[in-house]
Amino acid sequence: MKAMELFSEAKEIKKGRIRIETTKDKVEEMIKKLKNNGYEHFVMLSCIDWIKDGKFELVYHMWSYKYKEHVMISIKINRDGETVPTMSHLFPQIETYEREIHEMFGVEFEGNKRLVSFVLEGWPHMPPMRKDFDTEKFVKEHYYKIPEVKEE
Amino acid sequence: MRQEDWSKLARIMSKRSLWMVHFCTGCGAMEMPPVLTSRYDMERFGMISMATPRQADVLLVTGYLAVKTLKRLVQVYEQMRDPKYVVGFGSCTINGGMYWDSYNTIKDLSKYMPVDIYIAGCMPRPEAIIDAFLKLMDMIDKGEATGWKKYHKYYKQYKRNQKMAFSYRLDEVKDIEEGDGK
Amino acid sequence: MVMNIITSILVMSGMVALGFAIGMLFNGIARKVVARIHNRVGPPVYQGYIDVFKLFSKKTNISHGWIFDLAALFSVGGIALTFLFLPVAGVSMLSGEGDLFLILYLIAIPALGFALGAGASGNPNAAVGMMRALMMMLAYELPIAMVIVAMMVYYNTTSLAGIVAMQSNLKWAIGIPPFLIGALVADMALQGMLMEKPFDIPLAPHEIATGPLVEFGGKHLGSIILYKMMGTVVETTLFVDLFLGGGVVLNVNQFGWFAYLVNFIVWFVLILVVFLIAVIINAVFPRFRIEQALKFYWKYDALVALFILFWIFSGVMV
Repeated sequence: MKAMELFSEAKEIKKGRIRIETTKDKVEEMIKKLKNNGYEHFVMLSCIDWIKDGKFELVYHMWSYKYKEHVMISIKINRDGETVPTMSHLFPQIETYEREIHEMFGVEFEGNKRLVSFVLEGWPHMPPMRKDFDTEKFVKEHYYKIPEVKEE
Repeated sequence: MRQEDWSKLARIMSKRSLWMVHFCTGCGAMEMPPVLTSRYDMERFGMISMATPRQADVLLVTGYLAVKTLKRLVQVYEQMRDPKYVVGFGSCTINGGMYWDSYNTIKDLSKYMPVDIYIAGCMPRPEAIIDAFLKLMDMIDKGEATGWKKYHKYYKQYKRNQKMAFSYRLDEVKDIEEGDGK
Repeated sequence: MVMNIITSILVMSGMVALGFAIGMLFNGIARKVVARIHNRVGPPVYQGYIDVFKLFSKKTNISHGWIFDLAALFSVGGIALTFLFLPVAGVSMLSGEGDLFLILYLIAIPALGFALGAGASGNPNAAVGMMRALMMMLAYELPIAMVIVAMMVYYNTTSLAGIVAMQSNLKWAIGIPPFLIGALVADMALQGMLMEKPFDIPLAPHEIATGPLVEFGGKHLGSIILYKMMGTVVETTLFVDLFLGGGVVLNVNQFGWFAYLVNFIVWFVLILVVFLIAVIINAVFPRFRIEQALKFYWKYDALVALFILFWIFSGVMV
């Protein structure tokens, strides 16, 4: 229950699972504080597309081996081109998660120098994990339209 | 006539000595260890897995292919020495299988490289794999496994399709068809 | 005079062909034996012939320059030459005095050709594999050279044919206590020479993709595999010549052609036994790392060889 003591806005949603909703300018401070208080494992960074609200939700997951607690720090940003400061100087693995989210959702991370293509090489369309990207339509218009090899 | 006899002998020999490059994509590679080891023992047909494409005759595509993987697969295929054979493994290589609506996996392998024989199933059992290899040997014996000749003959069309997949755009087609298909 | 030269050329090419044939057969036997140990059926024993034929019937050849082409020939030619210098079942084609030194040098030539090809291919895996192969050579040559020096001192000759001749009438070197230990030392070195399993570090298919062979394919790979197959025959023959009397059981002057036949059969059985020991060790062992192999050869193998050397010297002095 360490995180509950550290932050007043923390909510316990389940035993051993704590959720903190905050804004993007406070994230760096919070991760630093958690890192110094026994939450030494950065698990992952995930992204959710709330298309009706026009928001992206970024969730920073941290784990403590000491307290056996999972802390989720959640921030919301606008869908249309709002940038987020990078956290890769705190945990180096965040760089890769940010790279992936940049590719799949198109979120810009300020200060991350390695936002090059990750799984999709040379993807020219809208980032595919956005909810307004029509996967089925794209597949039907792309892969199924590639002609078969004709034998003369 | 003598040339024919010679190539017939070469076919008989090469069908009993198929070396495959073990290119693992997707989950299909999981079915290969039982085929290679004591339980189903593929070596009794002279098949062994080689470490590099330069030494191999058979390319086994085990499972789905992302576009990024296809780039590497084409490189591996072009590094192999003729005559070479491709075995499409599992339903993912036939029509995409469970990835039929994925934005990043190719659906039909035969559009990008000539496939000599497909193994249906998700996943195919080791018995099915061995059956497919025996069929491939039969095809080689009869001179029907001519995928590598097809790749030489329709090289332009294969390259066009590969380029379309790699760039995720169909309008590349026009550029290639108007030019002379580099 | 001309007839003599023609006959000797014919006999020599016959010997080389025999060497290649036995090498290919050994490859099949080794794979079958390993398969039976793994509780598998395994390929037929003639698999080696099929593989070589298939490799030579491949249609495209991707070359990496003329050194790469030449290297394959270099290896096959080098190993054939080495085979001709060895007394096989008491028949030596090209050997004169002092040929044991010559053989020790000649055995390095095909490996050098191999290295040339690997270098010309420009693949980093090949460079790593070649570095490991040269390290291995450095490692196993020390103990085997010490054992050979001990034999030279004991038999008071540097000629391999001489050593074989002195072991006739079944007075095999392996029957002499220091050389019984010496044979064990040399057998461990042989394991490295044949690149069988605890010491298959230069090839290591799962680590560096068969190392020096990585860019070879088609006819080039066919030549290299021929070299490797012939190499098993050459190296086991060297062992048999040194410790098991070269397979000579009947005196040629006394029994004529029948003696040749029996000697060749005995030689074949002996190299097969020596080879099978290596194969059986190969089937049950994992792979050493290069520093472990170096440590094994220089710490244990070379120490025992040094002990044998002192034993022989003190025996000679007394």
